[in-house]
Amino acid sequence: MLRKLLTSLPLVAALAVPAAAQDFPDRALRIVHGFGAGGNADTVSRIMAEEMSRTLGQPMVVESRPGAGGTVASGYVSKEAPDGYTMQLMVGGHAVAAALYKELPYESVEGFTFISTLGQFPFMVAARAGEYASMEALVEAAKAAPGSIKIGHSGVGSTQHLTGELLALRTGAEFLHIPYKGGAAASTALMGGEVDVVIDTGTVIRPQADAGVYDILAITSGERWPDAPDVPTVAETVSPGFDVVSWTGIGMPAGVPDEIAGTIRVAVHDALAVPAVSEKIASLGAKPSPSSGEEMTALIEGQVAVWKDVIESAGIEKR
Amino acid sequence: MLDQFLLGLSVVLQPDVLIYAFFGVFIGQLIGVLPGVGAITAISLLLPVTFYLDATTSMILLAGIYYGSQYGGSIASILLNLPGTPSSVVTCLEGYPLAQSNRAGLALFVAAFSSFLGGMVGVSILVLAAIPMTVIALKFGAPEYAMLVILGLLAASMIGTGSQIRSFAMVALGIALGLVGADATTGYYRFVAMPELADGISLVSLAMGLFGVSEVIRNASQRAAVDAPALSIRMRDVFPTRAQARSLVFPIMRGSSIGSFFGALPGTGAAIASFMAYAVERRFSGTPAKFGKGHLPGLAAPESANNAASQTGFIPTLTLGVPGDAVMALIIGALILNGIIPGPRLMVDQPELFWGVIASFFVGNIILLMINIPLIKLWVLLLRIPYQKLYPVIVVMICVGVYSHRTSVTDVILTLVFGILGYVMKNYRFEPAPVLLGFVLGPLLEDNFRRTMLLYGGDFTIFLTRPISAVLVTCSGVLIVIGIWSSLNARRIAARS
Repeated sequence: MLRKLLTSLPLVAALAVPAAAQDFPDRALRIVHGFGAGGNADTVSRIMAEEMSRTLGQPMVVESRPGAGGTVASGYVSKEAPDGYTMQLMVGGHAVAAALYKELPYESVEGFTFISTLGQFPFMVAARAGEYASMEALVEAAKAAPGSIKIGHSGVGSTQHLTGELLALRTGAEFLHIPYKGGAAASTALMGGEVDVVIDTGTVIRPQADAGVYDILAITSGERWPDAPDVPTVAETVSPGFDVVSWTGIGMPAGVPDEIAGTIRVAVHDALAVPAVSEKIASLGAKPSPSSGEEMTALIEGQVAVWKDVIESAGIEKR
Repeated sequence: MLDQFLLGLSVVLQPDVLIYAFFGVFIGQLIGVLPGVGAITAISLLLPVTFYLDATTSMILLAGIYYGSQYGGSIASILLNLPGTPSSVVTCLEGYPLAQSNRAGLALFVAAFSSFLGGMVGVSILVLAAIPMTVIALKFGAPEYAMLVILGLLAASMIGTGSQIRSFAMVALGIALGLVGADATTGYYRFVAMPELADGISLVSLAMGLFGVSEVIRNASQRAAVDAPALSIRMRDVFPTRAQARSLVFPIMRGSSIGSFFGALPGTGAAIASFMAYAVERRFSGTPAKFGKGHLPGLAAPESANNAASQTGFIPTLTLGVPGDAVMALIIGALILNGIIPGPRLMVDQPELFWGVIASFFVGNIILLMINIPLIKLWVLLLRIPYQKLYPVIVVMICVGVYSHRTSVTDVILTLVFGILGYVMKNYRFEPAPVLLGFVLGPLLEDNFRRTMLLYGGDFTIFLTRPISAVLVTCSGVLIVIGIWSSLNARRIAARS
């Protein structure tokens, strides 16, 4: 009886949905990202594509359309047909771009159907070992001698840069923000003593901290991070309510039918549940974080608002 | 030190690891020959393969592609005037004239052998002095980089074979082209006529256009030269004479030292190294007039420099876990996916990996030499293909190569535009090499100069109060004085005769 019921279930389900969704997907899908081949975005795309093509039963092609901080790819994807066959691997930079660019060839929130976040990761505030006793000590030192403490960041308008500016705004401490070409260059400058602090992801900071070269003063997420439970948050030390995480996620052009978006969302969540996939994402410094479309939309909307405010207040040149 | 190196050798001499080392340098070599397809493209394509290999083997494979491509890059530069990287631009300067005067085999042999020696010197430095080199590299801050680049630009202004004014003008053009894109200090968009230019002009498309495409146009416009030259490919002509070999000893030693030093500086090293080596050879040569016409020391020194640099380039990557350039970043990415986080503890925590990779460089360079020498005959045969058949293939390959870098059609169109520009420049005796140098070094200078000003509150004296920077300023001063003195001298001699 039970067996009979179970076998009939798919049939019932199939009758309930329109024909288009029923056949979806019946050809190859594409996952577009806006960064160079071989980078983190590319790697995550390939890991997801491999697993999702298995569950969806169709090949999945990774397409790199690099340029202008990922906005070239976002502009491209937002204009593609909302048929579910084109999706984009997005990163936290999507929310930054919405605040940083004077005009973009797409609507950052309304132009997309957000499927799910894949991974979230915090930033770490690091200094050379023994330099500052705590996050509080750093902020006090900065307040005592405004503009004397140098924060190296991975580029003007990067999330790392904006996080440093936000820290200054929220605490009232004044820092000197020094741009480098990428987190590795900023980290080298910290080692060599050219800057005093670097705010960057765990992949840049953790190896140095594990070797005793850096102290991690604080972490930027609202709550303590499961990977580093001993590290206090910025919120609990110097700036209550401080909460910055970056993320990767999947988005599609606006107007994808709910059933199709649902199919993709299930495939994404299934992929994230595979240990090999979640381990690889964790090795890149992120916490696997399947979400609903609404949660991802709210995350992006919230970040766009925060970054708009930071860019305005810090007087960062818009592009 | 020796114990650890032997441990490394024992890792790399396992048959399965050895096969991947061979595979890596072989692919690198092939990729290097293809115009425009760089190590980045090859490594990112092979990255998924490394998911199934252990960390040491992946790293040996990927690193092999990297330094193997340096060898390969010289082949296309010598035979076809097609530099794939800024360092092989210098190889074109002497290599291509050699090939055109029917000495391609000799040029390839000298390039391969100096590359080998340079690579070996680089590996030795890596084994013996990785830690002290790291300490020095960390002392290079923004002021030092800014002054180093000025020194590089000055040295390079002596590269042009024509007049100094012309070569300065070309450096300026290169700097101007390098300005396109987002300003690193403010993020402001400069000369971004279309969104595709937001990240600047691609180095590959500039190099391929100015050198490769312009050469194709030039040959196409000279009907008489269309017949393939009669070629001698006797093995005897491939080896240098005893006198030639002797004349190369010091250039190779100087080139390897310059390359080893500059390579260890994250980010900047390799590009400057071969230009510096070339400029030094020219400056200290008894016969500077021979340069630019196929002078062997002018080929050997930069070749040994860029290969030494590509080995010592691993110093910051291996000792600090900080990638020196985009290729290193990819290699580190592969390690991370293998669950190994490279950092200062790599040498202690993963001695097999650390020393295995270094030993693989040693073995890889020997393999490269062994592949290269017998292949010389084959490469020279390539020149027997009539131009009208060879060149269309080259143009297609250039387009594919340029496109593969950033998957951008704009880059391909720009390559053709630069090709026409290069052709016009050649007709008016303006040389392309200084353009490329300005393009690479200009943004580095601006970036580091402005960072210095930001860091030290606009204080110019910082360049003189920091010791390394002061030494570099002094070297630049000496170069200027020598330059003025020798040109005055030349004028006096000219007046006397």
